[in-house]
Amino acid sequence: MGRQRLLLLLIFGLAIAAIVVISQVPTRLGLDLRGGTQLTLQIQPTEEIPVITDRDMEAVQRVISGRINELGVSETSVQQLGQNQLLVQLPGVSNPEQARRVLGETAQLEFRNQKPNTEQQFQIENQILQQHQVELSLLQRTSDVTSTDSSVTADETDAAGEGDQELQAVQQAIRDSNEAIADLFAPADLTGERLTDAYAQPFNNSNRWEVVIEFNAEGAALFSELSRNIAGTGRSIGIFLDDRLISAPTVDVQYADTGITGGGAVISGNFNAESANDLAIQLRGGALPLPVEVVETRTVGPTLGRDSIERSLYAAIAGLILVLIFMAVYYRLPGILADIALVVYALLTLAVFNLLGVTLTLPGIAGFILSIGIAVDANVLIFERTREELRSGRTLYRSVESGFDRAFSSILDSNVTTLIACVALFWLGAGLVKGFALTLGIGVLLSMFTAITCSRSLLLFTLGMPQFRKPELFCPGISTAPSKS
Amino acid sequence: MKLNITRQRSFWWLISGLVLLASLIGMILCWQQFRAPLRPGLDFAGGTRLQLVRNCAVADCGSPIEPAEVRSILATQGLETSVIQVSGEEGQSVSVRTRNLDVDEEATLRTALEEAIGPLDSQATQIDSVGPVIGRQLFTSGLLALLVSFAGIVIYLSLRFQLDYAVLAIVALLHDVLVTMGLFAWLGLLLHVEVNSLFIVALLTIVGFSVNDTVVIYDRIRESIRLHPEQHINDLVDDGVNQTLSRSINTTLTTVLTLMAIVLFGGETLKFFALAMIIGFVSGAYSSIFIASTLLAWWRERSGRAIAGLSDTAEPTTGETPQV
Repeated sequence: MGRQRLLLLLIFGLAIAAIVVISQVPTRLGLDLRGGTQLTLQIQPTEEIPVITDRDMEAVQRVISGRINELGVSETSVQQLGQNQLLVQLPGVSNPEQARRVLGETAQLEFRNQKPNTEQQFQIENQILQQHQVELSLLQRTSDVTSTDSSVTADETDAAGEGDQELQAVQQAIRDSNEAIADLFAPADLTGERLTDAYAQPFNNSNRWEVVIEFNAEGAALFSELSRNIAGTGRSIGIFLDDRLISAPTVDVQYADTGITGGGAVISGNFNAESANDLAIQLRGGALPLPVEVVETRTVGPTLGRDSIERSLYAAIAGLILVLIFMAVYYRLPGILADIALVVYALLTLAVFNLLGVTLTLPGIAGFILSIGIAVDANVLIFERTREELRSGRTLYRSVESGFDRAFSSILDSNVTTLIACVALFWLGAGLVKGFALTLGIGVLLSMFTAITCSRSLLLFTLGMPQFRKPELFCPGISTAPSKS
Repeated sequence: MKLNITRQRSFWWLISGLVLLASLIGMILCWQQFRAPLRPGLDFAGGTRLQLVRNCAVADCGSPIEPAEVRSILATQGLETSVIQVSGEEGQSVSVRTRNLDVDEEATLRTALEEAIGPLDSQATQIDSVGPVIGRQLFTSGLLALLVSFAGIVIYLSLRFQLDYAVLAIVALLHDVLVTMGLFAWLGLLLHVEVNSLFIVALLTIVGFSVNDTVVIYDRIRESIRLHPEQHINDLVDDGVNQTLSRSINTTLTTVLTLMAIVLFGGETLKFFALAMIIGFVSGAYSSIFIASTLLAWWRERSGRAIAGLSDTAEPTTGETPQV
């Protein structure tokens, strides 16, 4: 009995921990539940780039992330899907049309010439921009905290709303700064198509890094002219990606006669490995003439999402209660114990979802509900077996024991087949199917755990108390004669 | 209650045969109409769907939205062929399904609709736009996932049981998938129910559940064969089915209970999803009891292994020691 008590304590502890996790770690809700826009972008190959490599995808992804930052949405995500698609998630409906328009463009990289006598103004504007960007990253961090918290009260939602307004104000300010800066530069006819490569490399084996850029023949000529004009003046070459300044290197006076020739150049400065690489990726993204097409958009209004989540939640709870009642009525004492195990199961599963950061979508909830069905099935199998053993005249304790033993192979085989299907679905399925497979798979694993440890320990522990040691509590209508153990 | 299913097997096979025939007819009719076995929804056919709700805080919601009015607006945009449905309490929401619109076309259409029927509630709007690429992708990835899970299940069951169990479990599973598809084919023909990617999710769940159910019965039959190798397979199958019958009923009942809750109270999107699963699960329970087990008995009888104790290729014990 001591072992049973220990196991029960462990399970009790796990259940408490699960409640703490559920209340502390926010549940991540999919866009179909919280509202928002989801876009699938397809990167089209071109004649110059017939095959899209991972390096190209990384560059395009960086460009897209840059554009999303300007859309005025927090908690966005960009994920790669398959070989040539990106999935962009924008929670909250800000402006789906604008998003579709902005994200579907081909990246524009341009090298521009700083206009004379703008040095001071450029410095001031650049400082303002930096300031705004710091503010923005701060705001995004705090808004991530408030808006993902599942227990937001009305006041906090208002505060989050204000936060959103602030966020949008900062983003507007950044747009204004970018425009002001763009005004200080004149086009130089040198665009991303003429850039062949950009990569980061360490500078003289030190911790400092630099970015190497390479042009084709035409680009080399244009760049040497551009660098000659700028060299030694204190003005800079503005490198713009989608009209945003990403770098503004100056050119040393030694190039004043010839400009930088040969088609290659090095941007050095205060780079570490990370920032150098980031700039190189942005440059490469701009160098790609890869058209981006929006192949799918799904927009769910926030109240619509909330409506479906509430209804589905009520449905799930109602279904669960019906199942609990059925189990208690049909299987009596073990049914009641199984009910406890089922509640523990539901708590554990939700806690694992939160801990693993599983994003709950409608199919995900369906997967969860189904896994409850599977958890019930495990208990039903065990109790049916126990009843059979009782009817064939075994003692109560042995019946319970062999009920578990004999049902185990059925539970194992049926759950492994379900798991095999889950793995195949998770591996090959698209978005919705993946979420479903994940929640169902986690549910199946945990249901096996609770059926075998929790239900079993509870039953054996209860059998330790004489007042419960009555076969009719397990199998109504059985003759009590042969079961004095 | 004791069922003699192996003796009545032609009766059960006839029932399944008729249902499958009806399913196939439904799918053939669908094929003639839509070039697909089921009425394809937005996810597969591609296109744009706008679900708009009139904002009653600002607009005049005295009368329901007039489909004719919406249609005339669509006609001005060259979208006469679109499907229009007015729904919601008091007909304040409208769903428009058109060909795939680009950003500008969609914006123009929304503005035009807003001018005609009054301000819309952006909080309750749903707009989905799916290009043809995605539809094909969803379909092929779903199908591939299905085939891979079939293969995985066959391999696992062949290892744990024997190859004939595995193949017949798949037969029962195809039965359930076809019955569900057939019903939705008829729903598509008669009630315009469309299938979307959630339907694929439902089919995949049915696959999992159906095999699950069959495995439990097979597990019992395998155990009986091991304990009584001298008995005829028909009796062993009958026993196995009867011993697991209350479990089959109870499990299907509890699962269907939760799904019924979703059909009755769940959100609009999930209704047909849950309905598909109910059909599949009920069919799954039926096929495990009446099809998978009778097929096993029939096959063993035909291949001369009706009595395991007599045959040369006696049931190898797979890993476990028999329990007495």
